[in-house]
Amino acid sequence: MLADFNFRVIFEYLPLFLTGLRATFLISIVSIALALCTGIIACACRISPARVLKYPAIAYIEIIRSTPLLVQIYFLYFGLPTLGVRIPEIQTGILALMLNSGAYIAEIIRAGINSVDEGQLEAGISSGLNYVQRMRFIILPQALGVTIPPLLGQAIVLVKDSALLSLISVAELTRSGQLMTSERFMPTEAFFTVAFFYMCIYFVLKALAEWSQKKLIFREAY
Amino acid sequence: MENMIEFKNVHKWYGKLHVLNDINLEISRGEVLVICGPSGSGKSTLIRCINRLEEIQKGEIVVNNTPVHDKTVNLTRLREDIGFVFQQFHLYPHMTVLQNITLAPVNVKKMSRKKAEAIAMEKLEQVGLTDKSGAYPGQLSGGQQQRVAIARGLAMSPEIMLFDEPTSALDPEMIGEVLDVMVNLVSEGMTMCVVTHEMGFAKKVADRVVFMDEGKIVETGKPDEFFDNPKTERAESFISMILTH
Ligand SMILES: Nc1ncnc2c1ncn2[C@@H]1O[C@H](COP(=O)(O)OP(=O)(O)OP(=O)(O)O)[C@@H](O)[C@H]1O
Ligand SMILES: [Mg+2]
Repeated sequence: MLADFNFRVIFEYLPLFLTGLRATFLISIVSIALALCTGIIACACRISPARVLKYPAIAYIEIIRSTPLLVQIYFLYFGLPTLGVRIPEIQTGILALMLNSGAYIAEIIRAGINSVDEGQLEAGISSGLNYVQRMRFIILPQALGVTIPPLLGQAIVLVKDSALLSLISVAELTRSGQLMTSERFMPTEAFFTVAFFYMCIYFVLKALAEWSQKKLIFREAY
Repeated sequence: MENMIEFKNVHKWYGKLHVLNDINLEISRGEVLVICGPSGSGKSTLIRCINRLEEIQKGEIVVNNTPVHDKTVNLTRLREDIGFVFQQFHLYPHMTVLQNITLAPVNVKKMSRKKAEAIAMEKLEQVGLTDKSGAYPGQLSGGQQQRVAIARGLAMSPEIMLFDEPTSALDPEMIGEVLDVMVNLVSEGMTMCVVTHEMGFAKKVADRVVFMDEGKIVETGKPDEFFDNPKTERAESFISMILTH
């Protein structure tokens, strides 16, 4: 079995895989950064008492969470052109990943905020701090500690989800495996290599998660 | 005497539960009022209405000539004048003692950091904790945390201090150190509302005791009179209950 495994072909295709890896890496970084902004804004709207902000945010979060990512990708891929919006596949893909992860990130941040004891808020209110000051000095610093690990978990999910962009022919890592398969009929070698590179990204992010958890968890009270 | 806090026919409901039932109460400047009563009688709710941590549905509360539940009231301004000490301290766990105390003076009163820190050290001296200014709340005992919480309230130079069972979460050996700090405050002429069952404290410094039951003020009196000769049966059974504990 292993004797049949053709490492020579893998090396031959290595430049293609590295291009794919680079694309996956860049798509992920950009999508995560945008998703974080989307998530923060969506969360701020979701917890706002103003209905015009709150209900659209709930609708957005629920629609994303109740439908498969692949459907969302196809929806944008086929839907945007009919609205007259013509952008390259890679941008459609990043948009889909941003909207998808943004909804999950909004909920992660909200859970972090809710995890802060109500009494902390009341102490802030009693001393005259306004909403923004309470968020900035009391709630968010304490929420951060519990939010960072699931945020990095979401980042890992996003990297793996970006594989779906191969279906709208974005030239990322999984797409490299598909190309090699169609040219050489060696799917085992192709997707072994693809999997290997995803694992590399995963372990880097995981190490980052563990490091940040040690650094950022705040001292417990009481 | 001038009224500092005034409750006029105040009612509050949680759904069907009538938590505050026609409260009328006047607290004058410099007065020390102790509020006691069985669990669930509405003591916390009553003092939380004073700085508008709670809304009311009927009646009016006036603090320092400001109608607290008026739509146009400047809440920040109102709360600057009222320090609140919680049963569970609620210090900010991610900040040092000094940061806990200076947060509001710097951000609400817009004081310079230097001045705020000088005041904080002054207040820490008052509660006997100057050596803990760099510590985090998690490194302090319960009694020390509660004294820091009092210093945090005092740093805003309030005219009124509200205490909601400040010693109930403490081990018995730490109750004394917190009560001592509060007794010292009384001698400075602070207007104080204290929810507590510490009879010793009430007898020593309170001007009046208010006894609540089922959302109503059932009895009001001088501490000695109230604890030694309660007029109502409910107060009598309550006092005998806290005595046997
Ligand atoms: N947010 C709330 N929603 C509904 N009911 C509440 C709420 N807060 C308090 N209550 C109810 O209101 C009543 C009065 O509560 P409150 O906390 O004022 O009592 P208390 O006299 O301070 O009691 P304790 O001695 O246990 O602190 C209780 O029956 C309580 O269950
Ligand atoms: Mg209470």
